[in-house]
Amino acid sequence: MSAIDTSNVPLTNRAKAHRVKWWREVGWRHCVGVVAVLYSIFPLVFAVNMALSPGKTGVPDASKLFQQVTGDQFVTLFTNNRPETQVHFLNWLANTVIVGIFTAIGTVLMGGAAAYAFSRFRYKGRRTTLTALLIIQMFPQMLAFVAVFLLLKSLGEVIPILGQDSLVALICVYLGGALGVNTFLMYGFFNTVPISLDEAAKIDGATHAQIFWGIILRLVAPVLAVVGLLSFISSFSEYIIAKLVLTTPTKWTVAVGLYSLVANDRYAAWGLFAAGALIAAIPVLALFLFLQRYIVSGLTAGAVKG
Amino acid sequence: MKRLVAVAVVALGLTAGLAACGGGDKSGSGGESTTSAEATEEATVSADDDNPAADPADADDGNPAAGSYDCSDASQIQGEITVWVDETRITALQPAADLFCAEQGVKVNLIQKVFDDLRKDFASQVAAGSGPDITVGANDWLGEFKTNGLVAPIDLSGVADQLSPAALGAFSSEGQAYGVPYGTENIALVRNNALISETKATTFDELIEEGKAVGQKYSVIIPMGDAGDAYHMYPIQSSFGAEVFETDAEGDYTDTLAMGGEAGHKFAEYLAKLGQEGVVKSTITGDILGQAFTAGEVPYVITGPWNTSTWVASGMDISVLPIPSAGGEPAAPFMGVQGFYLSAKAANAFDAETFLVDYLTRADVQLELYKLGGRMPANLEALADPSITDDPVAKGFAEAAGDAQVQPSIPAMNQVWSPWGLTEVAIADGKVTDPAAAWDEMITNIETAIAENAG
Amino acid sequence: MSELPLKPRTQKSRKAATMAVAGGWGPGFIVKLILMALIDAIGIFGVIQAWRAGSTTILVVAIILLLVVNYVYFARRAIPGKYLVPGMVFLLIFQVYVMLYTAYVSITNYGDQHMGSKDAAITAIQSQHTAVAPDKDPYAIVVLQKGTDYYLATVVDGEAEYGTSDQPLEALDGATITDGKITAVDGYDIVKPDRDNWDTLQTLAVPLSDDASQGFLMTERNGTQAKVYLPTVRYDKAADTFTDTETGLVYHDGGKGQFVDDAGKKMPGSVGWRAVIGFANYKTIFADTKMMVPLLKVLVWTICFAFLSVATTFFLGLILALVFNSPRIKGQKIYRTLMILPYAFPGFMTALLWKAMLNRDYGVINKWIFFGAEIDWLGNPWLARLSIILVNLWLGYPYMFLVCTGSLQSIPSEMMESARVDGAPPLRQFRSITLPLLFIAVAPLLISSFAFNFNNFNLIFMLTGGGPLPGTGSDTKIPGATDILISEVYRLAGVDLGTPDYGLATALSILIFVLVGAIAAFSFRQTRKLEEMA
Repeated sequence: MSAIDTSNVPLTNRAKAHRVKWWREVGWRHCVGVVAVLYSIFPLVFAVNMALSPGKTGVPDASKLFQQVTGDQFVTLFTNNRPETQVHFLNWLANTVIVGIFTAIGTVLMGGAAAYAFSRFRYKGRRTTLTALLIIQMFPQMLAFVAVFLLLKSLGEVIPILGQDSLVALICVYLGGALGVNTFLMYGFFNTVPISLDEAAKIDGATHAQIFWGIILRLVAPVLAVVGLLSFISSFSEYIIAKLVLTTPTKWTVAVGLYSLVANDRYAAWGLFAAGALIAAIPVLALFLFLQRYIVSGLTAGAVKG
Repeated sequence: MKRLVAVAVVALGLTAGLAACGGGDKSGSGGESTTSAEATEEATVSADDDNPAADPADADDGNPAAGSYDCSDASQIQGEITVWVDETRITALQPAADLFCAEQGVKVNLIQKVFDDLRKDFASQVAAGSGPDITVGANDWLGEFKTNGLVAPIDLSGVADQLSPAALGAFSSEGQAYGVPYGTENIALVRNNALISETKATTFDELIEEGKAVGQKYSVIIPMGDAGDAYHMYPIQSSFGAEVFETDAEGDYTDTLAMGGEAGHKFAEYLAKLGQEGVVKSTITGDILGQAFTAGEVPYVITGPWNTSTWVASGMDISVLPIPSAGGEPAAPFMGVQGFYLSAKAANAFDAETFLVDYLTRADVQLELYKLGGRMPANLEALADPSITDDPVAKGFAEAAGDAQVQPSIPAMNQVWSPWGLTEVAIADGKVTDPAAAWDEMITNIETAIAENAG
Repeated sequence: MSELPLKPRTQKSRKAATMAVAGGWGPGFIVKLILMALIDAIGIFGVIQAWRAGSTTILVVAIILLLVVNYVYFARRAIPGKYLVPGMVFLLIFQVYVMLYTAYVSITNYGDQHMGSKDAAITAIQSQHTAVAPDKDPYAIVVLQKGTDYYLATVVDGEAEYGTSDQPLEALDGATITDGKITAVDGYDIVKPDRDNWDTLQTLAVPLSDDASQGFLMTERNGTQAKVYLPTVRYDKAADTFTDTETGLVYHDGGKGQFVDDAGKKMPGSVGWRAVIGFANYKTIFADTKMMVPLLKVLVWTICFAFLSVATTFFLGLILALVFNSPRIKGQKIYRTLMILPYAFPGFMTALLWKAMLNRDYGVINKWIFFGAEIDWLGNPWLARLSIILVNLWLGYPYMFLVCTGSLQSIPSEMMESARVDGAPPLRQFRSITLPLLFIAVAPLLISSFAFNFNNFNLIFMLTGGGPLPGTGSDTKIPGATDILISEVYRLAGVDLGTPDYGLATALSILIFVLVGAIAAFSFRQTRKLEEMA
């Protein structure tokens, strides 16, 4: 993309050439960008259309885009005013946010601590635990829903709060998978923090705990943000285990609740679903945009040098 | 080293203290492991505390006799039962639950479930030793529930003469009742009077012609969906004489399929034709049926009371008619019966049975359920109520029921539904070139599955 | 971010650090102490509860965990342990144990007809085979209680008689009979059935005489009347057999969770239970061609789906990243924010949204893009597969775009500079420098993306449910056209359609795990090689 010398060209031509050059180097990129953006958002436009359509059941006819606009779906969502579909949307949202936050915090702390141990200490069995972890994390918890169900059943008989229909139990199950993928992502990133920093601090008399909490965790903040975000999102979207653990409609998460609205053909409330989906997406979206700058560095830095 | 010991002592002291507090607080709910998970902890504790005091009073009263309890006062509540209902019935049951609590002092926890979850959740929960005391359900679940030992027999001999024998029979197996029926339902032909006000057709083919003459998007709709809907297709099938199972001398279903052979082939070919006509397609779900009907895009649909009640409520002018025969014999729909099952592992079987037998069979309770769901009450007194006999829609469904056959509840039925539905999808969508051969293949597969399961 | 928080540099904190090392009571230590006390309290509470509930396994596990946690946090050694234990505890209980338990379930016949325990099955068989004797009138009875034992008492020919399940009716002394009814009995209380004693009373079946075929009495809920019941089968506890009272046939435990006759045929009306059946489920998967062939197809599709998903998203993401990797574009941030919306939206919602959009009759895709054509996107096997790939492209390309952008920016500018000085044409530069570097950077992410899609249950379940299902007369265990392995497990488990077969489903889970584990171990080894080469 070497610069073309334009100084000798007459003025009109120069302006033209300038525009051509702009098009060749920048303008077309904007075109691509607009197309990509359209591609990304047109389903969301459709979702907004569904959410604002008046129908109680069924997929709103797409040819009637924004012909009838009403807030009925949103009203129902919050007031639960239809006898045929009971919607506990506020409960669902609150449950989901609670589960998401605790899962994210737990995952970040436990994953971070484990990654620190793997990255900074050399002890017997380190290699083995790492490999074992790598293998075990390949077993999706969802595949074990039968066993999870039976485990919670027997735990619940001893400690009710760890049994079925409890958000705590659901968080615990999610945290069971916390060490999995995340530890590897973090491990890679932890390795990028020079060990000389630790050693300097150690000479200064800092304990391992002080190094961990005071130095390392701050330096790896991007990856913590990424892991927290990813686990928040995945717990937000998780369906099977949540469905299995939470049996009372008021205790459901958004994923379970919204799915129930469209699961049955006879009375699939797509409009209600879309309205709920749009609202539920807001916390995720906000978090995502807020943490956006960390994501790229968090995802790649560990991978590059790990 | 000394320091470490000191630390340990302090820590242990603290833990012991905390444990004592924690243990004391929660011992009530923790020890009571049989209480279903749905019961709120608070209610469980209070029920436990108050039971001893309430016992003597109980004995004096003589049990099923009605007392008078204030259910807003937790100390007056003697016990509780858990009932699973779906969202369409929870409101209708609330008065019965309140009455039961006021008279028996037993709190009814109505737990709202999604209808599609009821069956599988009940099966998995009860098998694992928990679940509700009572669940609402359809009569064709009985086979599965019984072979898995999930439901307990109920002694309905005291109230049997108040209930429709057909409905009672649908919840019975080998002479024993396993559930309390409350409503029967069947599908019928529903006409949008705004599009066409008179139906002359006596055969299904004529009906389609009439529907086409209206000139809307569809002529007639029978809902199907991806997994098929043999239930809605059954009147067409039975009009060819291809009934699902053979019946024995007493009219009970046997394990032998009766829908194969010549009659089955004829139906299969007719189904392929319906598919070409656009009457049935896997993409036309119950969902789309509802939309098309309310939008005035179709004059005729085959559906049940769950839709008509909303349509009437929204002010549509509709008529409910018997389904014209397609194959010469009467088009008999299935009669589905809805009712309540008693869990074999009920935590409080005593009160649950009282609620089932003495309350849910009552005319006023069943009438309430009729008003919300549109299903014909199983209680004979309720069935004779003017609100039903004077209702043209209800009358229409009753007429359409005509020769309705009770939907089989034998275990073998479990092996039938899905292949049946899927094969119908394949035929209607034109995915198979030879409908009769596909039908035969289905019959063979089902027969194998039934044999495997019985062995 | 620039000021490094190297705390111990200051005088004060260095002092604190020194104290902590010397074993003082620093604030950190106090926090730890409080936390440990809390954890111990919860642990001990758990132990007590397990003891009360009589659950030995949970008791033992709770005690071991408690000891290990205390050792790790109070001992000087085991420093790595202090960081590993919290995660490991959850991992062991909710992942490792669950895996092992899954392996155990896979060698049982847990599923339809084999749901509960054997005891529950026997009770159910008994209660289901008890019929009211049609020609016998009910007896007027009272329920007697002495201590914790219950009796039924009745008046036969003017004399009071009583009995229990083990003892047929016999004469009862000390009964006061008024108007032919027992009103009081010396040494016994007359009680009413209630919610507390009902479970016991329901098992109280008093034989009318030594001849069991005469039937037995069971009280009704009012406690004043008992019907005569006749059992059609009799359970012999010692021999663990059922005998049909009419035919005399004997049924024994066939070892496969059912009572069977000598020929191995199931007892009519039997209720089964969960039993260990060895490797029968695995055998079904491998030996049954009805099972194996479709599963192999599913495997092929799973790999294709995962590979194509990664390839398409990466390709589109890379192109867009290259397009936007120019500082001269204004509004980059806005573009990026809008473009990553699909990724930020919770996945299950967008999958369902696309399902509605692809609806043949009302969906926006047919209405707008194909001008009302009735294309059956999710009903035709190949179109459904294509739809899934395209939807996944939409869902996944923003992630790849982010990743590629990040990697491009992290490529040292000196390398690009030197290539430019060498006069290499842009395409060459890209092929020989940018692409390899980029690839090394993102390879592990591509692998994990592959692994993620390999098990991308949500997308398949929400979009097509695995369908369209194969045509004729197939049973529900046969996979649909878009089923991937993990959704096929769900189908086999029969949670949504058909009859549950958890044994078979878990056996397949274990096989998938072995497969994925092997692929993962292999590919991670490959990436390590790739890095070493670089």
